Amino acid sequence: MDFILNPFVTILTLLYSIFNQDMVLAIIVFTALIRLLTYPLTAQQMKSSKAMQVVQPELKKLQEKYKNDREKLAAEQMRLYRENGVNPVGGCLPLLIQFPILIALYQAVIHALAASPLSLIDLSGRLLIPGLGDVIPLENRWMGMNLSLPPDMTTGSIIAYALPVLVVITTWLQFKVTTPPMPPSEDGKPNAAASTQQTMGTVMPLMYGFFALSFSVGLSIYFIASNVIGIAQYVLMGKADFRNILPFGLGRTQTAAPALTTPTPTRRDISKGGSSTPPKDSAKPSGGGKPRR
Amino acid sequence: MFSRAWIARSRWVVLVGLLLALAVGCTSLPLEASWASVTLLGNPAQVLVAYADRMVMVDPVDGSVAELRDADGNVRLDEQGNPRTWIVTNSSPKYTFYTRPIEMQEDTLLVAAYESRLLEVDTITARVLNSEGHVLAGHSIASPLQNGSLLYVPLSSNSLDALNLETFETVWSFKTERGVWATPLLHEGVLYVPSMDHTLYALNPTTGEEIWRLDLGGAIAATPVVANGHLYIGSFAKKVFKVSLEGSIVAQYETSEWIWGAPAVVEDQVYVADLAGYVYALRDTGDAFSEIWSRQVALRGIRATPLVTDDYVIVGSRDHNVYWVSRESGEEVNKREMRGEVLADLLLLQPGDGTETREPLVVVSTLAREELLVAFTLVNGERRWVYGL
Repeated sequence: MDFILNPFVTILTLLYSIFNQDMVLAIIVFTALIRLLTYPLTAQQMKSSKAMQVVQPELKKLQEKYKNDREKLAAEQMRLYRENGVNPVGGCLPLLIQFPILIALYQAVIHALAASPLSLIDLSGRLLIPGLGDVIPLENRWMGMNLSLPPDMTTGSIIAYALPVLVVITTWLQFKVTTPPMPPSEDGKPNAAASTQQTMGTVMPLMYGFFALSFSVGLSIYFIASNVIGIAQYVLMGKADFRNILPFGLGRTQTAAPALTTPTPTRRDISKGGSSTPPKDSAKPSGGGKPRR
Repeated sequence: MFSRAWIARSRWVVLVGLLLALAVGCTSLPLEASWASVTLLGNPAQVLVAYADRMVMVDPVDGSVAELRDADGNVRLDEQGNPRTWIVTNSSPKYTFYTRPIEMQEDTLLVAAYESRLLEVDTITARVLNSEGHVLAGHSIASPLQNGSLLYVPLSSNSLDALNLETFETVWSFKTERGVWATPLLHEGVLYVPSMDHTLYALNPTTGEEIWRLDLGGAIAATPVVANGHLYIGSFAKKVFKVSLEGSIVAQYETSEWIWGAPAVVEDQVYVADLAGYVYALRDTGDAFSEIWSRQVALRGIRATPLVTDDYVIVGSRDHNVYWVSRESGEEVNKREMRGEVLADLLLLQPGDGTETREPLVVVSTLAREELLVAFTLVNGERRWVYGL
């Protein structure tokens, strides 16, 4: 892990040094850099997610058609994926790659802030730029809290309560804004993938909120910054769908039905920015927040 | 091959796996905050080790836990008739101990717990007298220092607090830019305070007023050593300094890595180790240091002050080894492998220094609980006893 951790600790300390010894600003800028570097992975994840969404109606038909012949179903599904350039695990793989980065960032924050002697002694030799050790130890106090420790609720600081809440809200927002809705089945019932997605949309923010309560304040700042930057990234690319955050699935019910009529896109369609060209009356998954007519 | 149900299931597996990985990755950090403090206490002297959730008194002759005795010298027995031993543990509230306790009057020890509390321990019964403790303003990383009715408590929360020993109220508090991680030094009416904010402060010990300050270019994590009418101290600026008592740098010597432990000064010779595993033997020539020898003894850092004897310089390293090197040449003479990192200061036990040992012993503490204390003979590094949890 040192081959990731040491450069992370060095960059974080360098940013701290550049930004007038402001650790929070250093974490935010570092997060932005990480998001920028992992942009190809994010784009791949988004592309895969969209492509999977587009083939859903066709997939449903195949499942109906071959419900008694699993082998044939599997073969047809693979053909469908192949023809449309879909990698069924393409959405998870980038996430898998991003996780070591997240863990390394957490450890970098803890190591760089080094609140205890054992953490600080472990920091020696990790800084790859000569002279950077002059700023050690880094200031770990921020708004009455220690950035390397979980938020201390006993201080009565409103920030201590606000941080986990902000983590939950921004994680939920990012999930909603960046995840295209799954269309329901032809019979109008929500399909399995959609319900999985819905559950993930609830569990993940809560899980990250739990992490925010259990781990360091610095990690909470990373989560919030990462979520906000992630949303901004999607907005800048014109891919954000703010209709998903409307209550009671208002945006979704209006858009889902036409999606069923979306013809199976060709590989060429998908390769154009990762989404098919829907008919004019169909839902545009990345509507950029404009109300649909 | 990839049915929708499979994909839905696999998403869950991946998600749960990733969250588990995240949780494990986020917690794979040291559980303890620091290393043990090892000191001699009592008459005849016993080895007191304070580490994590306990303090234990160990017999330096054989490494057994000391037995509690009554006023007549008889061993105290528990309800089952077994001898009661000198172990201070606590479960609720949970405190951890890494600092050297202070001997007070009337068989009482004063110990600063890491969790911002000062605890009083009865040495006769090995019990904490005030389980709630006296509240401190921050984590206590280094041992306090007593001076008459004042107790100087170095705190990680950027201050050195002087407390009244009767009431435990703060008499004065000296603020620093970063924490104070080392015990201050009181010498000839001046209190020298090393701080992680790169500065060595000289204070009036009664009022806390600043007399002078000196920037040493890097964090200072050890107590200065006073010898030859000067202060000797290392810093994270990768330098060891000789500082006049008036607050000016007289001499300095550059090392490979941060210096954490204090130098050992024997007459005009200065021995210091760094976190790259180097040991340096220097000669103090008045206004400069000249190198006698320097050598990378260990593969990883050496935190503690080198233990200097007539023939050897003994150091413990993060590479799980204890090294005996020739004081004259710096060549390795002995090397003993340990089960954990060696970060605590080594303790030298000599016959006649208050202990009942019959031969000189070097007591080493490691981060491995099964080898919390190991005693080696000074002469040939033979293991004499081990105390583990």
